[in-house]
Amino acid sequence: MSKVNPYFAKEMKKLGGTEFNACFNCGTCTATCTLAEKDNAFPRKLIRYSILGLEDDIKSSIEPWLCYYCGDCSDSCPRQADPGNIVMAVRRFLITSYDWTRISGLLFRSLAAYIVAFSLLLLGIIGAYTADIFTKEEWVHYGHYFEMIAIGSVFLVILLPNIIRMWYFTVARKKVKFNIKVYFRELKTLFIHMFSQKRALECDDSKENRTWWLEHLLLVIGYLSLLFTTVFLNWFATGSIFIIVMGYIFSAMIFVVTFDFMMKKFRKKTQRSTTLHYSDWFFIIWLFLMGVSAFAVRLFIDLDLLQNNFWLYLFHLTVLVQWALIIVPFGKWTHFLYRSFAMYFSAILEAPENARK
Amino acid sequence: MEKKKQRIGLYICHCGGNISDYVNVEEIGKLMQKEDGVLISKDVMFTCADSNQKDMIQDIREKNLDAIVVASCSPKLHLHTFQEVAKRAGLNPSNYVQVNIREQCSWPHSDKPKDATMKAVGLIQAGVKRVAYSESLENIEVEVKSTVLVVGAGISGMRSSIELARLGYEVYLVEKESVVGGHVAELEQVFMSGQNGKKIINDLYEQVKSYSNITLFTNAVMENVSGSIGNFSVDVRIKPREEISGQKEETLTLHAGAVLVATGFDPYQPKEGEYGYGTMPSVVTLPEFNEMIRNNPGKLVHNSRQIRKVSFIYCVGNRQNKGENKYCSRHCCTSTIHTSIQIREKYKDITSFHLYRDIRTYGKQEVLFEKSSRQGDIYIRFDEKEPPQIEQQGKKTLIRVTDYLTEKRELELEADLVVLVTGMEARKDSTDISAKFKIPIGNDKFFNEIHPKLKPVETVIKGVFIGGSCQGPKNITESVQSSLAATAKINALLGSGKIQLAPIIARVNQDACTWCGKCAEVCDYDSLVKTTAANREVALVNRATCAGCGICAPVCPENAIDLAQYTDSEIESMIDGFMMEIDPGEIGKAEAAVEKEVLQMREYPQMWKNILSTLNGGKKTIPEMAEELNEKKELVTYHVMTMNRYGAVVPAGMDEDEEYYYYSIKN
Repeated sequence: MSKVNPYFAKEMKKLGGTEFNACFNCGTCTATCTLAEKDNAFPRKLIRYSILGLEDDIKSSIEPWLCYYCGDCSDSCPRQADPGNIVMAVRRFLITSYDWTRISGLLFRSLAAYIVAFSLLLLGIIGAYTADIFTKEEWVHYGHYFEMIAIGSVFLVILLPNIIRMWYFTVARKKVKFNIKVYFRELKTLFIHMFSQKRALECDDSKENRTWWLEHLLLVIGYLSLLFTTVFLNWFATGSIFIIVMGYIFSAMIFVVTFDFMMKKFRKKTQRSTTLHYSDWFFIIWLFLMGVSAFAVRLFIDLDLLQNNFWLYLFHLTVLVQWALIIVPFGKWTHFLYRSFAMYFSAILEAPENARK
Repeated sequence: MEKKKQRIGLYICHCGGNISDYVNVEEIGKLMQKEDGVLISKDVMFTCADSNQKDMIQDIREKNLDAIVVASCSPKLHLHTFQEVAKRAGLNPSNYVQVNIREQCSWPHSDKPKDATMKAVGLIQAGVKRVAYSESLENIEVEVKSTVLVVGAGISGMRSSIELARLGYEVYLVEKESVVGGHVAELEQVFMSGQNGKKIINDLYEQVKSYSNITLFTNAVMENVSGSIGNFSVDVRIKPREEISGQKEETLTLHAGAVLVATGFDPYQPKEGEYGYGTMPSVVTLPEFNEMIRNNPGKLVHNSRQIRKVSFIYCVGNRQNKGENKYCSRHCCTSTIHTSIQIREKYKDITSFHLYRDIRTYGKQEVLFEKSSRQGDIYIRFDEKEPPQIEQQGKKTLIRVTDYLTEKRELELEADLVVLVTGMEARKDSTDISAKFKIPIGNDKFFNEIHPKLKPVETVIKGVFIGGSCQGPKNITESVQSSLAATAKINALLGSGKIQLAPIIARVNQDACTWCGKCAEVCDYDSLVKTTAANREVALVNRATCAGCGICAPVCPENAIDLAQYTDSEIESMIDGFMMEIDPGEIGKAEAAVEKEVLQMREYPQMWKNILSTLNGGKKTIPEMAEELNEKKELVTYHVMTMNRYGAVVPAGMDEDEEYYYYSIKN
């Protein structure tokens, strides 16, 4: 027995799912989707759950993470119910449900909350700078420490528990017991996917999709590499020419790709760029700013200009702080993590009978 | 009795080959020349062709024919054609008989040409014998009153009354209730015009009042109905109005040339306990809910509780596979969805669940369905096998339903109000009205038209028409359409002041009749009444109401009743004609002639010989043959098809690459 919640639609609307109520259950979306399987009418079923407000069923769905929003379903929908868009809204809903702190819930539902949070961090940095607590060298030094601490604590305190919650909703609650070996064996899926994003290629083999996959992959690789370069190889303070060049390349990869993404979103040419939630804009713009500012900071260091233009570092730090404390733990950044884990969990769920116990 | 016809013209049709390919019409033509009373017997390529019609008229005039028979296709197709030929030649159309030797001989018996020919001979002989005894009949002319009785002052009845009054008829508009307007007056807003139902009715009422030739009777009940087309007499009992003191009940007799029955429908009333109706306070019907909306301008309150979630359950008392009401009521999906949109506009914070079986917002009404789902109404599809269960838990009303759109998931929903979407039923008094006017009713108790497509507003009772939802579920538009169609039919009927009725009716031989009353008992139309002739009680046929069904003729113990055009002598002579022995010599000849024809076909023209020589034992496609013969493909195709038709060549497989058939010589 599932309880119908007619007010769930309002929730979905706040999260960006607008037209899904127009759905009359024809199933054309499912017919066009490569993710749909015999026993899994994706995305029709998900839209149905959203209309009826069956939250538990939505929470235990893994499929939204496997979807790369190719937009075929929205293109072919006879009622313009935009099923692709509701899948994105459901993803936002899942992010808020996995998050034990419930902060993502607040940020995804209210643009004002987003702006306030960003402003507070900005004011904090301006305040600290005007209070003259640190010297310029200390700023750069502690900035690096901040990065390390932020990454570690965000992952341990927020993301890890959230992934466990995700596992609980999508795997544990299905009450199928698996041999622990399966968890180890399928780890390869997690990493293969994280560094290849190859699932996107299965959606369709159009040129547009292949280009998009390549850009997406470059962004993932560039981002992870830059993270590694700045945090563990201390890019801003290193003397190794090799690391310096790598850092330039990675940061350039980020801002070139994100710039292209932004242009595409402005032109609204493809389905996946037509309907966007403000959280999508924050994600892409901050990623771009981060790439550009990191590139510029290192360039200023190399040209010996940073001492006289210290505002640039402060700008970079602000972007970084906002990114690391808001977008990464509570914003769209998490889709990168959850999608890779979704691939991992679904591989476990699809493990053959004999792998269960 | 009229003189037996001795100058009969018989025309046998080839129908271009449709008949003559299997029935040897030429031989039959020759054979029938010897038949008693037959003056002309011809076989004609197309009897219905203009040229032959002219020849027939010339024959009738020059040879002074007194009857004609055409042996061709079904009378459904050409009876009227040849009756008109007879008329144009100055012959009474009743002296014409059509014999069907195409649908009854050549087509069904194409595999047995000899038997088909024999059967055709029998049928033609029967037709010739029958026409010999045919009588000249004249149409019955009846004078009609230019007064119309309209029963029911709902939207259909009122709308028709206004049109009839404009056309100059005297109209009696009779309404059972104390007010006019019927169910439309109950609607706050109608789709698609958005008008208020009551206002529509008020406007119509003002118009009705403005015509001095409309007399409106309210609180009026039909009592006795008598008379027939052109002059019905209806007793109407008018009950006193409560608000006017001193009024007495009175009965008036109204006379009318035609009657329009527009008595409408009753909304289905759920049984006690059906979906909790009557036992749970939060369960109401759609008409009750509409009334609630009318009476709650600001907030929707029921039982001093504000309503925020409304659940509609569709098809209540309708589309019952096992129950009585198997039909769909057509208007309710639209009506419900329209209501759901209205409440959202009127009360803002309100949500609707639609528990439906199928959504039938057909035609322009589809936009409502889309609007409703876009605004967030939740649609849940159930099956009649698993109807929603309603349960009262304290103040909460819970509905359990199996949703066929979510993998048959059991869903539970909470609603403040459950609205049963009840469809239409025939009025409780429809049997009563049917008995009074003799309008046939169906199993569903709605009135039946003669033909749903071709005669949709006429009843088998001449002069009695039906309009609106008394005939079956209709929405307002369809109701008014049908009653206006009936209005036009009434105008066509009464317009000239006289009407012509077909002469095929029962006739009583009053010398033989002893009035036993058996005929009156069986007559469905009350057309036989007792009268006195030469101081004897005898039966009399009402020529205006008799439908010519013939049921009275066989029950008469004195054999005093005959049906015009189907008299005993006609029918008996037909049987004689059909059973008459056919000279085997003639049939032998006929058979030989068929054989000969086939042989003649085998004498191929030059082109056929050329085609056969190219085939020369092998098989070829048409393009191959055309190339070899250096002829156009179209010409070769034409000949090969004809040769195939006559069995000179046969298809021999297919060229899969080119997609052409191979043909070879038939052995």
